[in-house]
Amino acid sequence: MDYLDYVQMTKGQQISYNIKSFFTGIPGAIAGFFQVVANVIKGFFGWIGNGFKGYGQRFSDGDTGTKLSYVIMGAGNMMHKQLGKGLVFLAVEVLYIMYMVNFGMTYVSKIYSDNVTITDSNGVTAVHYGVIGSNTPVYGYDDFGEKTLLNRDNLDTSNNVLLFFVVTLLITIAFFALYIANTKSAYETEQLIKAGKTPMTGIEEIKDYFDERFHVTLLTIPVLGLLAFTVVPIIFTVFIAFTNYTRERIAPGELYWWVGFQNFAEVFNTGSAEQSATFGKILSWTLIWAFFATFSNFILGIILALMINKKEIKFKAFWRTLFIITAAVPQFVTLLLMKMLLGQGTGLNAMMGTTYPFLTDATWAKCTVIIVNIWVGVPFTMLSTSGILMNIPEDLYESARIDGANAVQQFTKITFPYIFFVLTPYLISSFVGNINNFNVIYFLTGGGPESHLYYKSGETDLLVTWLYKLTVSEGDYKLAAVIGIFVFLICAIGSLIAFNMSKASKNEEEFS
Amino acid sequence: MVSKTKRVLALVLTAMISASALAGCGGGSSGGGSTTTSTPTNSTANNTASNSGNQAAELDLDSDSSVDIIKERIKKEAETSGGEIKLEVWCSGDDKKFETTRIKAFKDKYTPDGVKIVVNISAVGEDKVGGKVLEKPEEAADVFNFADDQLTGLAESKAIADLGDMFQNNIKKNNTEESVSVCSVNDVFYAFPRTSDNGYFMYYDKRDLDEADLDDMDTIISKLGAKNKNIYLPLGNAWYNCGFFFAAGCDISYDAKTKQQTATFNTPEGYKAARAMNHLALNLHKGFECDAGSLGDNVFVADGFKNGTLGAAVIGTWAGPDIKKNIGAEYVGAAKLPKVDMDGEKVQLHSFSGYKIVGVNKFTKYPITSKVLAYFLTNKESQLERYKTRGLIPTNKEALEDSDVKADPALKAIQDQKEFSHPQGASVGTSFWSCSPGTIGTKIKDAEGNLPEDKIEEILNSVVAQIESSNKSNAT
Amino acid sequence: MNTTNFQNSPQAGYAAKRKAANTAIYIILAVLGVIWLFPIIWLILTSFDGETGAVTRSLIPTNWSFNNYIKLFVQYETDANGNEVQVAADAMQFPYMQWILNTLFVAVCSCVISTLLVLMVSYTFSRLRFKSRKTFLNMGLILGMFPGFMSMVAVYAIMKVLGLTNSLIGLIIVYSAGAGLGYQVAKGFFDTIPHALDEAAKIDGATRHQIFWQIILPLSKPIIVYTALTTFMGPWGDYIFVSYFMDQNPYGWTVARGLYEMIDNKENINEWFKPFCAGAVIIAIPITTLFLIMQRFYVGGMTGGAVKG
Repeated sequence: MDYLDYVQMTKGQQISYNIKSFFTGIPGAIAGFFQVVANVIKGFFGWIGNGFKGYGQRFSDGDTGTKLSYVIMGAGNMMHKQLGKGLVFLAVEVLYIMYMVNFGMTYVSKIYSDNVTITDSNGVTAVHYGVIGSNTPVYGYDDFGEKTLLNRDNLDTSNNVLLFFVVTLLITIAFFALYIANTKSAYETEQLIKAGKTPMTGIEEIKDYFDERFHVTLLTIPVLGLLAFTVVPIIFTVFIAFTNYTRERIAPGELYWWVGFQNFAEVFNTGSAEQSATFGKILSWTLIWAFFATFSNFILGIILALMINKKEIKFKAFWRTLFIITAAVPQFVTLLLMKMLLGQGTGLNAMMGTTYPFLTDATWAKCTVIIVNIWVGVPFTMLSTSGILMNIPEDLYESARIDGANAVQQFTKITFPYIFFVLTPYLISSFVGNINNFNVIYFLTGGGPESHLYYKSGETDLLVTWLYKLTVSEGDYKLAAVIGIFVFLICAIGSLIAFNMSKASKNEEEFS
Repeated sequence: MVSKTKRVLALVLTAMISASALAGCGGGSSGGGSTTTSTPTNSTANNTASNSGNQAAELDLDSDSSVDIIKERIKKEAETSGGEIKLEVWCSGDDKKFETTRIKAFKDKYTPDGVKIVVNISAVGEDKVGGKVLEKPEEAADVFNFADDQLTGLAESKAIADLGDMFQNNIKKNNTEESVSVCSVNDVFYAFPRTSDNGYFMYYDKRDLDEADLDDMDTIISKLGAKNKNIYLPLGNAWYNCGFFFAAGCDISYDAKTKQQTATFNTPEGYKAARAMNHLALNLHKGFECDAGSLGDNVFVADGFKNGTLGAAVIGTWAGPDIKKNIGAEYVGAAKLPKVDMDGEKVQLHSFSGYKIVGVNKFTKYPITSKVLAYFLTNKESQLERYKTRGLIPTNKEALEDSDVKADPALKAIQDQKEFSHPQGASVGTSFWSCSPGTIGTKIKDAEGNLPEDKIEEILNSVVAQIESSNKSNAT
Repeated sequence: MNTTNFQNSPQAGYAAKRKAANTAIYIILAVLGVIWLFPIIWLILTSFDGETGAVTRSLIPTNWSFNNYIKLFVQYETDANGNEVQVAADAMQFPYMQWILNTLFVAVCSCVISTLLVLMVSYTFSRLRFKSRKTFLNMGLILGMFPGFMSMVAVYAIMKVLGLTNSLIGLIIVYSAGAGLGYQVAKGFFDTIPHALDEAAKIDGATRHQIFWQIILPLSKPIIVYTALTTFMGPWGDYIFVSYFMDQNPYGWTVARGLYEMIDNKENINEWFKPFCAGAVIIAIPITTLFLIMQRFYVGGMTGGAVKG
């Protein structure tokens, strides 16, 4: 259906259309979601499958060079007039083997150590299986009779073992990709020579990386950065969710071990019986918060932008600047300021001599954070919607005016639906952003007020602030990792479904 | 699960090894597979038996003869790092000046020839040190000052060094018995006691209250209320409202062996304590104030005394200097906590008592230098110096006999309060403060003293359930 | 037009109504403006309050002074003889000047690196077509959905292995290594540049490398400015990472960490709350100026990205 058709419907029709299209869209969206997941998985395995496709075939078809490249990387290229490329492949193989022998294998073998004797805080020793790392502390006594650590520099830290294991895993995957590429390249050059053509020289190949394969050149550094500082940490953290890593096992030599899915059960059984529902409570508040935070900002931001951009209103730049100033002061400053302003015994309360529990009563605090978030966020929405408002085709309004629509009708029938259509992806990403909106909650209430019904969290804690508290102040890393995985799942499922329902993603489909 | 993971892993490993074999050069030198060597651990956690007969144990660290022995030992430690010893000390920001002068004195006394000792001091609040050390034990300071309730956590995470006979003997000889008792967990000795200030009592303005008024909370409230002033007692803060429960006969305890935290607040005595809080809160803002707001209690209290909203406050020595500065030392009085009304009966209010102690990082490169420094920073001279700069009450027996210290009203108040105080280090486990025993007080405050009995029971039952399961996650 | 009374003609009524509506809008805008600016004004007024102590009872200070600003740069202590002496430049509890320099360094470096990374990624996804493009895009989408600091502990472990903890270089890496994920807005912008330009250049024999540097980038000034400014402003506002990655030595902190520490501890807050306000005002001035300058780009960048998704 065209956008213009939509605008011409009456309000009642529009609502029923919206509701109808929402529900009829759900199955498609869910299907779309699974399609995306399936595509990613398919893409990954397809990529692996492609690598192996013809692996055996090429071996039996190939000449000596190609066959040799199955054992000595680069041999094929070297024998097919591509000395430089062959040497690079060979170097990769040598480096990989050196890495594995000198370094990688140690950590791969330590990732699951059996029969490790671990002393707990009571001095009781026990033998454990599936421990990450194996060198535990050894103590002796010095000439003063002081107990000393004898193997201070030779202790395993489970963190390091796990980290190097993940790195080794990725390096190995990369190595195999290059290995397959090497056999392919050997075979392809062989075919080229057989067909009477000359394979690219080293110089040509390098040039190709600035033209046909320029995407490889451009993406290498960003992808390496992401792999090292985003992907490796995420895999690491996902692994942590399957261990018993807590603050008690943080010191070097105090190893942690694999515990399976235990922590996933623990998330739903935290603390006392009443607290065991903490995850559910925090999740529902997170969603309520994200809903109100997103839509309050969106609607108020549009109204503000409309007022400022109204034709007859003068000093537009002045009004805009007025609101932007609050957005420009670094957020933690404005939020800490708000905390002072709304605190007990400070700011407003001190000036007026009152004791309003803006941040100390659960219901008050929940409303306060949403209102303060409006204060923080509306200028941004105002800014971003201003541009769109200016782009609304003027003839839409002309025709509406001819039909005798008043200002309110123009807003509800033209402006709002138009912006809503255009900004759906923005709305979705700001909804996800609000689920992860750490700053407003952490700096304003710190998750408080505290409650005996919440496990190591407070009434306004979001999943992410809970995660942060568990990590930084409680040192319950395993539980934090599980919560992180859940937050990811919620965001991923929610936004993929929403993206599939929105028009823009269909455009992208057509575009590519 | 275990065997399954193992099988998957074995599969991955086999794949890798066979792949590397396929790739040519024999990469099998590492021996492959999941065989591991387990290092035998020296399981003697008790360090008493193994070093008997050690002459160093008799060394008196305050004697002049010990200086050369220590110097020699420090020199030996410095040799491992080319003659330079670099230490990091964490103390509260207010202590920085004091620590700087004392560390200079330490260097003058103990630096051996040819050795350079460099000490860097960073400000970390004494209530935050435990958490900071446990965030990254290896990178934490070599010597750190902290409040004794964090010791259990530091010990359980094995981030703090234990002390041998020599240091133990010196500490035990010089410090009060109770201060020594908070320095060990599970019979292992860890820390150097420094001050006994980490408890609370009552400061008051002598112009508002006479000594005769101090015994009874109701008298204080009515007298201050008549002057439009308040007594401050933070009901919503667990550290303070536990005093009501203790007074009523409840208790909390922590078993370091089983890591079980217990509390008996949900008993008839506990309900009685909550009713007593209810009774007080009826006077909210009319003689009684219980919320310091978001600025911190010392700010609130000092400010309250200054502008005449407070005439008395239940707080500790850390607020002393500011109160004295604001209204003049001559008007500041200190006393033990008053009696409160519990079901018509006047009961002495109890309190927590706590100590500030000094610990040494287990992963320090220079254990002996660090321990000697920690000892030096907590010896008699240091404690007296700290009393002079910050007004904090020493734990050293001789320092307590000092005339200035003896004349301090806060000391008298602490000592009067002593028999009604509960040492927090021994009774509080790692997770107690992240529970919310303060809730009951907050709810009473919100209800302005009209919290119904069934609600009291409900909350207390729930809080106790929370406290008793607070260590579940760590008890694996 | 059946009415004869001119004053009550629809036009006149319409004009009056419009005037009333505009007046109402002015009033609403003014009221909202006051609400929005009130905390900022409070911040500025408090920063000039000459009274020490964290409690302010009146909006307008009774005692105006620059002391809070001076205290950020010059701090005094009493020495052994009871004299007020200036604290040495390397022994201050809160070395504000050093924080500004640190933050500036980190912000400039991570701004340059991030902008390059973002441009590389967004250009690739917008203009180049290759086999695994869709997979990469999906992967990017998925990675972006993990909560930012979920893997903070792991990143710290990596930094420790690399020996980059407690170093500004480490911070720069933390702020910019993942920048490639933020390609959406810039990609939206590149999508709007006509493909005909590339085609024409290709016919003239230009390589993709040349097209990128010589044709597309010169046209991309708005998005470059937008990306650079947003990434430049990041380190000024981040507290989480800098608090986890830097140790207790105040000389290694950035402004955000330092200001937070000023009022985080109850033993500091009484003395440092007002200097905190002054410090916040000082950094707010350049950031606000930058923000006002880039407003124009901001509007373009954000909507460009939003429209295209």
